[in-house]
Amino acid sequence: MRLDSSRSLLLRLLMLAVLVLVPPMAIASLRALDRFEEGLSPEMDRKAAAIGRDLLAQVDRAVSYGIPIDKLVGVDEFFTTLLNGNPEIRYLGLTTASGDILFLSGALSDQLAGQYRALHLTEADMTGRKTDIGAFVDLALPVRGRDGLVGQVHVGFDRGYIAAQLFGIFYDIAVVLGTSLIIAFEILLFVVVFNISGPMKLVAEVVHQARRGDFTRVPGITSADEVGHFVRAFNGAVRQVDNAYRGLMAYIDEVRTGHFDRNVAEKVGEVADRVRFLFRFNPSGAPQVLREKLSSDVRLPLFLFVFAEEISRSFLPLYAQALPAQVAGLSPELMTALPIAVFMAGIALGSLWAGAVTERLGSRKVFQFGLFPAVLGCVMSGLSHGVIELSLWRGIAGLGYALVTVACQSYISKTTSDSNRATGLGGYVGAVLTAAICGTAAGGVLADRIGYAPSFFVSTALILVSGWLLSQLLSMAEIPQSVVMAEERHGTHLLRIFSNWRFSILVLFAAIPAKMALTGYFFFLVPLSLWDSGHSLPEIARVMVLYPVVMLAVSSLSTRLADQMGWRIGQVALGGLVGGAGILAALAFDGTLPLVIGIVGLGISHGMSASPQLASIPDICWIECQRHGRTQVLALLRTLERVGSFVGPLLAAVFLQMWGGRGAIIGLGAVVLVMAMVFAMVAGAYGNGPHLETEEDAP
Amino acid sequence: MSWSLARKVSAALIAILVSTMMVMSLFGFFKFEEVMSSLVRSRYSFVAFTIKKKVEDSLNLGFALRQLRQVQETIELEKARDEQIQGIEIYDARGEILFNSDRGRIGASVPETWLDPLTATSSQPFALMDEDSNVVGLPLVNNLGKVEGAVVLLYPSGYVERELGAMLGRLALEIGGLVVGFSLLTLVVASLALRPVRRRLAAMEAGLDRALMKDGDVAIAGLGDLGEFDGQFDEFVGKTREAIEHIKTSTDEVERLDRLA
Repeated sequence: MRLDSSRSLLLRLLMLAVLVLVPPMAIASLRALDRFEEGLSPEMDRKAAAIGRDLLAQVDRAVSYGIPIDKLVGVDEFFTTLLNGNPEIRYLGLTTASGDILFLSGALSDQLAGQYRALHLTEADMTGRKTDIGAFVDLALPVRGRDGLVGQVHVGFDRGYIAAQLFGIFYDIAVVLGTSLIIAFEILLFVVVFNISGPMKLVAEVVHQARRGDFTRVPGITSADEVGHFVRAFNGAVRQVDNAYRGLMAYIDEVRTGHFDRNVAEKVGEVADRVRFLFRFNPSGAPQVLREKLSSDVRLPLFLFVFAEEISRSFLPLYAQALPAQVAGLSPELMTALPIAVFMAGIALGSLWAGAVTERLGSRKVFQFGLFPAVLGCVMSGLSHGVIELSLWRGIAGLGYALVTVACQSYISKTTSDSNRATGLGGYVGAVLTAAICGTAAGGVLADRIGYAPSFFVSTALILVSGWLLSQLLSMAEIPQSVVMAEERHGTHLLRIFSNWRFSILVLFAAIPAKMALTGYFFFLVPLSLWDSGHSLPEIARVMVLYPVVMLAVSSLSTRLADQMGWRIGQVALGGLVGGAGILAALAFDGTLPLVIGIVGLGISHGMSASPQLASIPDICWIECQRHGRTQVLALLRTLERVGSFVGPLLAAVFLQMWGGRGAIIGLGAVVLVMAMVFAMVAGAYGNGPHLETEEDAP
Repeated sequence: MSWSLARKVSAALIAILVSTMMVMSLFGFFKFEEVMSSLVRSRYSFVAFTIKKKVEDSLNLGFALRQLRQVQETIELEKARDEQIQGIEIYDARGEILFNSDRGRIGASVPETWLDPLTATSSQPFALMDEDSNVVGLPLVNNLGKVEGAVVLLYPSGYVERELGAMLGRLALEIGGLVVGFSLLTLVVASLALRPVRRRLAAMEAGLDRALMKDGDVAIAGLGDLGEFDGQFDEFVGKTREAIEHIKTSTDEVERLDRLA
């Protein structure tokens, strides 16, 4: 087992997490189901008794008028009405005193006839007799005439009815378990990296130098665990060598300055030179304490933050729909879309200056600064009394979201070198996607159980935990900030990038439609359509969680493919076509299936095109990247594509108002597909490799 | 208390276990309460429906709602059948209580909100909350389609907790027991899972200690495939010992030179 790598240890601890979480959840769920069935069973009996009593009263009345029980008219219709009004009751029956079936609705005679004949009900069974008949529980009540028992009334319900009613909870439990396992993974990853592999990497760095005789540094680990204990012993060894060296040097200095024999002084000088030649020690008088921040430090807080923000993903349009919304000139559909659009606008605005602010103030301060609008936006979203108010707070929350995520990206960027930056940013994407999976899935269940507004308060609590965690982690050693970046002065010059047609086409026909599909279709139309077709909030969340799951699965493959084949623009084009075509599945199918196809298509589309889109920028904008810096060009692309994020829900709302739910999906899908087709047609002209100015100027 | 690696991992896992079980129990209880409440509401709605049928049969014969004296007996009988029923009331379209299982309330008025369901044209059942009671009701409609009033049945809102509190308490205990049991298991298994880490660290520490002593064995033995880091660590230990010995030899040499004089 390697100590400076987290993989093997993490795998071991993940197995432990599964062992610790899955069995108790399974045992507790089964025990709870048993107990709940036990608790609900008497209630079912009471319901059956109430219906039986009513039925008996009706039959008793007819019999008391002298009508023979087998000559009753309209019994089947009466039974049907009762069964329709009481879905928990499976069947109703009326038999002779000996148990021969006269009227039966809701079950087959063959299933019950034998049991009824063997029942031997008497007049003494006033409150009825309960028996199990196959998959049914039957309550029989005696019908008394002038000459004694004349018949039996039977009310039956399914033995599995209660279990079927409670079964829905298993989906919720599966979501809770899945989310818990992902959270466990994130926390264990943090524990392992922060406590074991991270410090041991630092030790490995010092060991790497010291094995060649360089004793200038010691790892700065102060934990009280086994790793801390080992590091103290390790540092003790280095310091022992350092002390011995310094003792020797002091002695040599003393001899050289104090000895009268010049020959001796020269010889001890040679000894000092030999030691200095063989070993290196810190000239400052003691080994330098080495502290290093890891890009993974921000992963857990970022995960919690995005998790919190994603909780409202599956229900935000439904929440907006449920709030009062009366603004002259704005349709109800537009009002419903407004909170999503304003949230996206908040992110876009925040992203515009978050990068520069982070450069100036540092990741920790920007993160803390971003937490304020994030928390405020989240709390007030839960307390909103109208859509306009909700939109305002979502916009503020979007601002916070932008600041926090950019601060995290900046931190990762600063704690990594060129060689491991891709791994660091991969960790960022991984944390965001897993948080999206957990947040979306858990948000639906949460909102269904505790309501929309309290779900926002849960989000707020998570954001606060994330903030506390990050401020603790980043306070340990803030990375020194560089002077304000030189690229800032290029603000207006950067706009000349639009004269690069490759960049403009990529933004207009690939980046913007991708975001329009995400916010207009996935964030807005999907929850509304699923809700309108009768799905519950947890079901909506379970369908929506397909997007991050598919994206997570496809993105790693596509990144590898893009690196191996260098077919980045082709992947972006193909991704756009898949996304648009997926949404247009609504043309061919009805119900939930086209939505599932659309979501999976969108997941494939974005998984396929997101990384290649970014990776193609250094080639497409080679000159601009050299001139303004790659970060600035990428930040501009990110900001511009958010135009699509803002427009998407509003356009979808207009389509919704004009053509209804299905029409809006088809309309938006058509827009996305047409734009993707334009991009696909132009993609062939992009060529390979960096595009230099000379090439642009060539005839 | 010092936090060993096993304790840190155990604490993280136990915290996740506890919160997961709490969330699951909460969701489970909510679901159970939802199913239970819907069953209870459906049963009481049915009882109200049977009374409604009887009242409407009489209304259809041309009697005024106020005149149906036998209804008082019917509602008293229904209330007597189920001790959980807090009351059954029949009120007219203006909100005046005409019949009530508690005769003292006859002539009083129902809350304004109870009249809202009567404005709807349908005769669908409705559910209301009244302080600590749940209310299920049905509008009373004559054969001309006119809403004459409503029949409502009141039952306690804490019905589920009161009826099944003991059972839910037992279940909570069982789940608590599971959490405690698996927490202990976590402590043991986390300790076992991290034993190789502890052994490796201890072995490296011992190697360092030996290296700092004269004639100690430098190599870390008996730990299987140790990988690049461990190879380098061996070299580090060797170099450390070499440095100490070299400095010591150099010190002896300087001493000897110093004494020459």
